[in-house]
Amino acid sequence: MRRLSTPLLAIVLLAGSAFTFISADNWQIAEGYSITFSSDEASGIFKGFKGAIAFDEQHPATAKFDVTIDVASINTGNGLQNKHAKSDEWFDAAKYPQIHFASQKIVKTPFGYQVTGDLEMHGVKKPLSIPFTFKRTANGGLFAGVFTVNRADFRVGKPGGEVSDQIKLEVSVPVTK
Amino acid sequence: MFNRSLLLGIISGVLAGIAGIIYARIYYKINEADFSVVVSSIRILSASLFGGVLAAMGYTLLSRWLKTRGEIVFNFLFTLMSFASMLLPIAYKLPLNLETPDLFPGMVIPMHFFPALSWYTLKPLFIRNR
Repeated sequence: MRRLSTPLLAIVLLAGSAFTFISADNWQIAEGYSITFSSDEASGIFKGFKGAIAFDEQHPATAKFDVTIDVASINTGNGLQNKHAKSDEWFDAAKYPQIHFASQKIVKTPFGYQVTGDLEMHGVKKPLSIPFTFKRTANGGLFAGVFTVNRADFRVGKPGGEVSDQIKLEVSVPVTK
Repeated sequence: MFNRSLLLGIISGVLAGIAGIIYARIYYKINEADFSVVVSSIRILSASLFGGVLAAMGYTLLSRWLKTRGEIVFNFLFTLMSFASMLLPIAYKLPLNLETPDLFPGMVIPMHFFPALSWYTLKPLFIRNR
């Protein structure tokens, strides 16, 4: 019987380990998020933001972001500019109503984390890396990141026009469990 | 001359301000668009009063320089400036927390004509043509 106990234990451990997953925590996007964009000539916010976020600081490799921005929710603070931004000259909100980002890889960096994924905007899908931080708060957590997007890469607006090609985006997303 | 036109400017400015405040309230009730953070009642009143006093100064100066043609030029300039000032609310960038910036010009543009309307309405009571 003793001869069998060690191999049996090994089999039990092996079988058990097969069902052990390191799964990231699922987070709900809370009120108070902000998605702002700015350049020297134009700035504003996107008010519509939703998606699924799975993230665990200890195991960033298992994290997953799949988020969308409602293009029609753009607000530059000026009615005419909003209309212009939603028109086919810029975002073409009627044809491409959403900006979509899906993560492929998330790694820890000296300053926080970096997510690499596909950004789909204006019908163009391109890989993009976004550095971000995550802080635990009393109610959950806060994701924050600042990065730039070349609007010409996504054929948003005319390249080299009045608005610079490089658009700075600042994202702050509070989350709860 | 200046005293009369200044009194006209102040009274027409105050009346234009009151009309503007009433119009803003009606606009809010109809459209549920509240821009009081940017255009408060005090701001409407003070801007209208400023317009009235500016009109009084302009009227006095033009009437002295151009005599009988002064009023014609003044009326033309006052209307033209009221029209030109429409560009200000159209180009104005509101705080981003205000939801419907497209409704902002619809509220403010008519107010830009209130001082001129008020001036033209009250002027015969204060200054009679010779």
